[in-house]
Amino acid sequence: MLKKMLAQFGIEDKRVRLDWVSASEGERFASIVNEMTEQVRALGPLSRNDGGKNG
Amino acid sequence: MAKLKLALYWAGACGGCDVAVLDINEKILDVANLADIVFWPIALDFKVPDVEAMKDKSIDVCLFNGCVRSSEQEHIAKLLRAKSKVMVAFGSCACFGGIPALANLANRAEIMERVYIEAPSNENPNKTLPQTKISVPEGELTLPELFENVLTLAQVVPVEYFVPGCPPTVDLILKVVNALATNSLPPVGATVASEKTLCDECDRKKEKKMISKIYRTHEIIPDPERCLLEQGLLCMGSATRGGCGVLCPKVNIPCRGCFGPPAGVSDQGAKLVSSIASIYETKDEKDIARMVEEIVDPAGTFYRFGMSNSMLKGKRPQGK
Repeated sequence: MLKKMLAQFGIEDKRVRLDWVSASEGERFASIVNEMTEQVRALGPLSRNDGGKNG
Repeated sequence: MAKLKLALYWAGACGGCDVAVLDINEKILDVANLADIVFWPIALDFKVPDVEAMKDKSIDVCLFNGCVRSSEQEHIAKLLRAKSKVMVAFGSCACFGGIPALANLANRAEIMERVYIEAPSNENPNKTLPQTKISVPEGELTLPELFENVLTLAQVVPVEYFVPGCPPTVDLILKVVNALATNSLPPVGATVASEKTLCDECDRKKEKKMISKIYRTHEIIPDPERCLLEQGLLCMGSATRGGCGVLCPKVNIPCRGCFGPPAGVSDQGAKLVSSIASIYETKDEKDIARMVEEIVDPAGTFYRFGMSNSMLKGKRPQGK
């Protein structure tokens, strides 16, 4: 539901990820965090909407 | 005691807030006894230059309704701020953006395109759009500029008090009037409503807060005694400020969230998503997907009144 709503706000699907990692899966945790970091880095900064006036 | 000087203004509004002030019926006479109304476009013939001619801080209280979306609304908001000792954001639009802020899911260019070109009722072959300036033989004509997004009053000028509601209820308006009359105003920054959520004030029977199907209001006739959310209707009461007298649930209509986030919550929509998602009674992915589809327009539902005031404020500009 969050993803569906964020799409309406123009936020890319790839910026949000929900995953489950057990406390014993340290390596998996690290690799997911790394993957996610790379993915978001590739997307670049989120364009800003200051709720502002024009421009 | 000298009479208070009171101003009322409507910016990006439907007029319902002004009508709500008239809805206090005979109490309006008490208001007239208590205060001189020095500016109220919907009811009295004072003009903007009359306000411009006033000394700074010469108005005691200004009740400002409507959102700020144009250069004219911003100008008058700043003007009234300069002339008023106390500025009150009156109604959901001035407080949180309100219904007009749903337009923040589009930008100005998209709105212009839709309204003046695409809409099926238009006959506009030359694709003429409103301009802020145009020269005609008689001189230059101007129109206010439309902003990219809808703003709340507090995003434009400092605001002392917030009176939420679409529109604020008669009881709340009288509460404000009484506070003025007895000089017992709350601390600056206060929202004049309840500190509880709507759910806390609703006396419907709450049994088991789990849902397996979501209904839209036209799809079922709900049981008048039981919690509406438990019956699968998207009631916003869990993350909406109380103080309205539970008006909608009392007539079998789920809360739409017009009183904005409760005390201590900054983003009403995010709170609602987490509270609704947490009561889905299923672990089956298919069921979850179906229930997500049953909420046709989550952004418009959960941020129905609170878009401008939310963390995201509207749709991100695309393609940058």
